[in-house]
Amino acid sequence: MQPEQQLQFAIVTTIVVGAAIVLGTIVPDLMEGRVIMRAFDNMARQPSVADRIRGLLFVVLAILESCAIYVLLICLILLFANPFASIFGL
Amino acid sequence: MGIESLFPWTVFRVAGVPVRDSVIQTWIVMSLLLGIGAWAYAHLRVWDPDMVQLAIEYVVEYIEGQIVGIAGRSLPELVSYLTTMISFVVLSNLLGLIPVLYAPTRDLNTTVALALVSLGSWQYFAIARHGVAAYLRSLVEPTFVMLPLNLLSLVSRTLSMALRLFGNVIASEMIGAVMFMLVPVLVPLPLVMLGIITGVLQGLVFTILTLVFVLDAIGAEDVEAVADHAT
Repeated sequence: MQPEQQLQFAIVTTIVVGAAIVLGTIVPDLMEGRVIMRAFDNMARQPSVADRIRGLLFVVLAILESCAIYVLLICLILLFANPFASIFGL
Repeated sequence: MGIESLFPWTVFRVAGVPVRDSVIQTWIVMSLLLGIGAWAYAHLRVWDPDMVQLAIEYVVEYIEGQIVGIAGRSLPELVSYLTTMISFVVLSNLLGLIPVLYAPTRDLNTTVALALVSLGSWQYFAIARHGVAAYLRSLVEPTFVMLPLNLLSLVSRTLSMALRLFGNVIASEMIGAVMFMLVPVLVPLPLVMLGIITGVLQGLVFTILTLVFVLDAIGAEDVEAVADHAT
């Protein structure tokens, strides 16, 4: 592979990974913010069930976080273990 | 041993099969848990217990509280299994704090193995409680057309648990490694603390998800809605 094609491959991979990480974590963040907002509102409204809400809040947040983690994993694979790197000779 | 040690490396080979450093760190975690358990068992006391026994009792009571909170009643056969699982996963995630060692769950093989153990446990508890015929019948539960979807949900639940744990641990280790490369003085401290929080939290989430899926497989009626959302 000529160096120019390798350079193109590297540039495209970097741009795509950067854009994917930025775009892919927007929606999980917004949804987590919505969950936290509702949880705090209801914890303030009914302090007697605040402990139960807090207990489930962390579990739900971790489950929502896993969507952003999937995006991160794809980006890590593209950066460090790219299956097409051997075709380009990198 | 630079940033390449972030990914698992082969230590030695046994009959051609490579043994990675995460296997050795799993042995360290196992020996730690066995040592603490054996010591606490030898020093069990009803009156005036010591700190180790109180800490272990706290974990067991917390797990039992979670079981009662989600299932509505106490299931004694699950308590020891889930306590072991949460202790193992939390200790594995936090092993990266010891200077020479790394977290064994940063290796995808470890987390897939843990998720497969979890998968086996749902089937085991379902079969132990209802028998093989009822379990096979539950796979075609609403209609016969749902069979591939039910099988697919098994695979997707296992895969999501493995990838969630692996992604969180390797992300926090990578952040720590990059921070230590850039500014080794004081800046890594809050990020390492965040890594501690996510390590404990991911162990807790792994255990609670295992609990929810086991209860779903056993057939506790009010748990199915929660399990479907967590798939």
